[in-house]
Amino acid sequence: MVQSAKPTANTWCPGCGDFGVLAAAKKALLDLKIPPHEAVLVGGIGCSGGIHNFIDINGVHALHGRLLAQAIGLKLANPQLTVLAAGGDGDGYAIGMGHFMHAFKKNASILYIVMNNETYGLTKGQPSPTSQIGFEGNIEAPFDAILSALSIPAPNFIARTFSGDPKTMTAVLEEAIRFNHERRGFAFVEDLSPCVTYNDTYKLWREKVVDVSKLPGYDPTDRKSMFRLYLETTEAGKIPIGVFHRPAEVARAGLEAKLLGENVGPARSEISVESNLAAYQKLLAGVA
Amino acid sequence: MSTSASQVPAQPTESESAQRRPPKELADVSVIVGGQGGDGTLTVVDLLGRYFRKRGLYVYTSRNTLSRIRGGHADANVRACRDPRAAIKAKADLLLAFDQEAIDVARPELDADALVLYDSTSFKADFPNALGFPFATLAGGQLGQPIYKNTAAYGAITVLMGFDDVVARQVIEERFKRRGAEALDKNLKALEIGRRVALEVPSAVNRWTLPEGDAHGLILTTGNQATALGFVVGGGRFFAGYPITPATEIMEYLMRYLPNYHGVVRQGEDELASINMVIGAATTGARAMTSTSGPGLSLMTEGIGHAGTAEVGVLIADCQRVGPSTGQPTRHEQSDLAHLAHLGHGEFPKFILSPGSAEDCFYLTVDALNLAEKWRLPVILLLDQALCQNASTVAAFDLSRVKVERPSVLTPDQVAKLDAYKQYAFTSHAPAPFAPLGTPGVTSQITGNEHDEWGHVSVNPVNRHKMMEQRMGKLLWARDELPRPHYFGRKEARLGLIGYGSTSGPILEAMDLLDTEGIATKYLQARTLFPVQQETLGPFLDSVDLAFIVEHNYTGQLARLVREEMPQYHSKLRSVLKYDGYSFRAPDIAGPIREAVHGSKR
Repeated sequence: MVQSAKPTANTWCPGCGDFGVLAAAKKALLDLKIPPHEAVLVGGIGCSGGIHNFIDINGVHALHGRLLAQAIGLKLANPQLTVLAAGGDGDGYAIGMGHFMHAFKKNASILYIVMNNETYGLTKGQPSPTSQIGFEGNIEAPFDAILSALSIPAPNFIARTFSGDPKTMTAVLEEAIRFNHERRGFAFVEDLSPCVTYNDTYKLWREKVVDVSKLPGYDPTDRKSMFRLYLETTEAGKIPIGVFHRPAEVARAGLEAKLLGENVGPARSEISVESNLAAYQKLLAGVA
Repeated sequence: MSTSASQVPAQPTESESAQRRPPKELADVSVIVGGQGGDGTLTVVDLLGRYFRKRGLYVYTSRNTLSRIRGGHADANVRACRDPRAAIKAKADLLLAFDQEAIDVARPELDADALVLYDSTSFKADFPNALGFPFATLAGGQLGQPIYKNTAAYGAITVLMGFDDVVARQVIEERFKRRGAEALDKNLKALEIGRRVALEVPSAVNRWTLPEGDAHGLILTTGNQATALGFVVGGGRFFAGYPITPATEIMEYLMRYLPNYHGVVRQGEDELASINMVIGAATTGARAMTSTSGPGLSLMTEGIGHAGTAEVGVLIADCQRVGPSTGQPTRHEQSDLAHLAHLGHGEFPKFILSPGSAEDCFYLTVDALNLAEKWRLPVILLLDQALCQNASTVAAFDLSRVKVERPSVLTPDQVAKLDAYKQYAFTSHAPAPFAPLGTPGVTSQITGNEHDEWGHVSVNPVNRHKMMEQRMGKLLWARDELPRPHYFGRKEARLGLIGYGSTSGPILEAMDLLDTEGIATKYLQARTLFPVQQETLGPFLDSVDLAFIVEHNYTGQLARLVREEMPQYHSKLRSVLKYDGYSFRAPDIAGPIREAVHGSKR
């Protein structure tokens, strides 16, 4: 075995919610028997974005907010790879908001995990897009990623987990990666991941979370009823967790599947002139 | 004289000065076709271009459109010549006008002897030397659709220029054969309508004659198309971009080409997404490119810096237009070089290459892909609006000149023989060969943070110092591999010209003009703009008394870059600048050089 980049020592605060995501992601990849070289984790900027340093697969540290664009480019270029993207709520919902919303539309078969702690931890506790009104003087409405995700009519996998419930989280991440492997499209998982230093919400969230699958009328194939269920639950002061959208069809709806079919894709295509000579000659003959 | 739809056959509208005269041979002819967007001006230019090419003439076409879909003034220009000319002729010989605005806009571009041929359906030309036919009325009356006015006008031009009527007809057949039988039939009839009315006016018949040329077997292409083709044959397989004039056609061509080669083209939600998709794709070993123009380049600057420090080889084609901000989206300028040479925050290496013709776009794109992959850095292909969108006749592309070299990409077998794989190994030379993400047996860490050889984040000052030298050293170590200039003109000349991109066309024409006056010049067409190629510029500047740096901007960006790196030549350098949105015409360049020569004689 060739010696290559290995995980480095963790730098997160003890008790950080991100540890839950790291453990669950490792277990999911192991359970699904994905070889390290076939998996890539694209991290954003912020505490959570460093996650790619702590896991023994390929790691890419992207620009702030741009991790989804890099992850999608990666997947389209080599659809054989299992591609995970992971970052924080500031990275995904503030500077990366444009790419975030478009990722649902694009529907490339990658998994995006947002570790939402409702603050900017690494820069020491400023309000983030998901901060509640009143947090550090925040007077703007908190952004709800699940509602936004449900609003886009694409066959995405949409879920929320809680770092205080690692078992459910592992199951959801495994399901999301399988969803990607079936080339069905984009999987989005928001993890409620408390920042123990600047916004310790473990106790509050533990009291508020409710397993959406236990609620009457739960049907994640029906976007309309899930919208209603989600809104009713949040308006009652609870935080629903679980799978909110799991499209019924198993069609190859993933962007890479639509674009490439059974083609190997850009990274593994043959690019020497010799092996493409006849096709190139024909191409150039078309310019008269 | 006004006409109406009931007047068939129509009487020509002819001003006094357009009387019968002996035919004049034009070895170099320029025709402008102007009207409202949607008048079909581009079709007439296309038809004329096809005819000229059949006569063995070199062709150069340009278009002048506004940033809107329909309506608004639009004109296009076609030049045909026995010599290869990649520039707009200084003064046009004929204007085909569909409205008075076309005449007013083109007036400064017209030769003193020029004729205005116009559609007199709805106006009478305010121009001393004008000839009008009611093309729209005639087409509407005889074909039921006035839109065939443009082909009818082409018919009149075939009479004015003494075209061979069989060849003139072939051109229509070739142009419209794929549009269905009805379209072809009506266009052929429109051609005859135009010919018939023109033949009735003695002064219109064979007003000019055209020579035969020997420019056969050439292709007519644009810089944008040549760049897209070069990308495909150079092994490019991934493209992401955002629509922007004048770069969009690169994406459009690749949407047609790449799916045949397992390639992918995506339109991003913005330029930020586009450059980052390209970076992501390149980490898997795919050869990847984006194309943009000034406003998009500003947004991509963040990503280009990331590619520089994360050492991901990507190609960015910048089709320069008038800036800053939205500027003039459809107009020509070369004003991004200063930004590109000093690109981004922090310091990172990049190469800026510039082709000087559509032909050069093809081959240089291949070189750029090889260099980006080997040196693992962003390579910018610096184009400009005139180069991107104007079409010229060039030699057919030669695949035997295309070399796709991948010395720096590790195969799984090569990886298996390694003891250790370091993504960012210190080599004190070109980067060590890399394993694309997904290569069995290895994992990589790729990051925009400062990192150690393994790709792990590092704040160690010794490591930082060495990493900076390892990355920035590429600008020195790659020098021997960077594209060399093309040289033109008289070796012994003491007057030099330096330029890049589309200015090559008008520069070469200006040199011919000066040559006839006994002023000998030579020209260095720079193809590597950054790092500044001292080893080629130095000997060239040593060999001349004065060097004129010709470029389309206000501040003399290339001249400033040369002065910055090579201050010893300061006193030899002069700038020839143009920044009105139009490309150089040869006299714009010949003028200042002539003045300098005559000034020094006095």
